[in-house]
Amino acid sequence: MTALVRYLLSDVLRTQRFLPPLLLFGAVLGMLYSSDAGPALGAYSGTCALVYPVGVWLTVVIATAEDPVRRSITVVASGGWGRTQSAVTLLAAAGVLGVAVIATLVPLVTQSRPYPPEVVGQGFAGLLVCGLAGVGVGVLCSRPVVPQPGWSALAALALVVLGYVLGRVPPVGMVLGALGDGRGDVWGKIALSGGCAVLLVVAATLVARTLGPRGG
Amino acid sequence: MLHEVDLTVEPGEVVVATGGNGSGKSTLLRIAAGVTAPTAGRVERPPSIGYLPERFPSGVKMPARDYLRHLAGVRGVPLRWDLVDALGFVGDEHAPMATLSKGNTQKVAIAMALHATDLLVLDEPWSGLDAAAGAVLGELLVATEAAVLLTDHHGHDLPGSRVLGLGTTGSVGVVIELDRVGESLALLSALDGVFEAREVGAGARVEVRSGHSDAVLAEALRLGCSVRSVRS
Repeated sequence: MTALVRYLLSDVLRTQRFLPPLLLFGAVLGMLYSSDAGPALGAYSGTCALVYPVGVWLTVVIATAEDPVRRSITVVASGGWGRTQSAVTLLAAAGVLGVAVIATLVPLVTQSRPYPPEVVGQGFAGLLVCGLAGVGVGVLCSRPVVPQPGWSALAALALVVLGYVLGRVPPVGMVLGALGDGRGDVWGKIALSGGCAVLLVVAATLVARTLGPRGG
Repeated sequence: MLHEVDLTVEPGEVVVATGGNGSGKSTLLRIAAGVTAPTAGRVERPPSIGYLPERFPSGVKMPARDYLRHLAGVRGVPLRWDLVDALGFVGDEHAPMATLSKGNTQKVAIAMALHATDLLVLDEPWSGLDAAAGAVLGELLVATEAAVLLTDHHGHDLPGSRVLGLGTTGSVGVVIELDRVGESLALLSALDGVFEAREVGAGARVEVRSGHSDAVLAEALRLGCSVRSVRS
C-alpha cells in the first residue's frame, strides 16, 4: 500500500493540478490572518469553512490524476479496485492532514491574541474533521463514481454548498457551529462530527470500490 | 456483449482471442484482468496479473524508468529494465513518457505488464512495435511461465498458442491482404468462405474461413491481384 500511495503522490506532483486548491488555500488563509482574525476559536471556525472545499478539490485532483486507462493498469497491478481506491483516499487524507496542520499553526505565528493549547487542539481537530469530510465528498464526486469532469465539478460544488446551508449538521456544519460560538460541549461535537466524517470517507471509498469495476 | 464464455488459461499457455470489431475481445480481457466485473458469471484470477490496454495513454508526464520502478514497487517485485532493453527501447528513460514515440511507449507498457508472474492480459501488444521488437515480444510470450491471454489483429505466429474465437467472426481462419484488386473486390466477396472483403488503402483485406483460403487465394491470383500477405 505504501508503494501505491508513493506512486500516486509522485504522479499527482507531476501533474501540478494540486496547485490551484493549495493556492486558494494559501491566499484565503493569508487574507484571514493578515490582520486581527478575532477570537481564536471563531477564527478556526472560519478556517474550517475554507479547509472543507479545499479538501474536496484536492481529493478530486488526486483521484483523477491518472486517466481512466492508466488507472485500469494501476488497479490490476495493485490487486484490485479496493486497494487502489484505498490508496487514493489515504493520500487525500494525508493531504488534508498537512493542510490542517498548516491552518492550525499559521495563526499561532501571525496573531497577537492568546491561543491556549486546548483551543489549538480543538481548532486542529475541527480542521481535520472538515478536511476529512472534504475527502469523503471528493471521492464521491470523482471517477469512478462520477466519470464526467463537468458533472464532477457540479456535484462537488453542490455538496460543498450543502455542507454550509444545512445548519449545524455533522460533520461540517456542527464543527463550524461549535467552533463559531464556543458554547457547550465543543469536544463532544467535534468527536461526533469526526465519527461522521470517518464514516463518510469509508462509505465513499466503498462506493468507489464498488462502482469502479462496473464502469465498463 | 459476451455470452457463455468459458475459458481457462493454464500457466505457460498462450490464448489468442480473435474476432471482428465489437466482438468483445477487449471486454473479455478487461474482465480477465479484473478491470471490469462481469454482469453474470464467475472469474478466478491468480494474484499477479499484468495488463496492457489497447491504447496506452500518450500524455504521461512520468519518466519511463520511474513509471516502471513505481509499478514494480506496487507489485512488490524488483524493477526489470532488462525487459525494456530486450524490446529495443530507444529514447531517454528519464524524460517524460509523453515525449516518447508510440512504439517506445508501447515497449515500456509491455515491460510493465511482463513484471507480473501469473497472468499476462495483453490487448494488441504488437501495436506500434517494429518488426524486431515484435519478434522479441513473441519470444518472450512463448517462453514465459505465466498464462497469457491476448488479442492480435495482425496474426503473429505464436507456436503452441490456442485461438479463442469470439462473436460472429470467431471462425476467422486466414486474413489475405491484396494489392491490384481493381474491380475484383465484388467477385472476391462472393467467393465461398469469404465473410468480409473490404478496401484498405490501395488494396484490399479479405477474411476467409478455414478450409477456403487456398481456393480464394488461387482465384485472387487468377483475377490478377497481387498477394501482399497471408496470415492465419
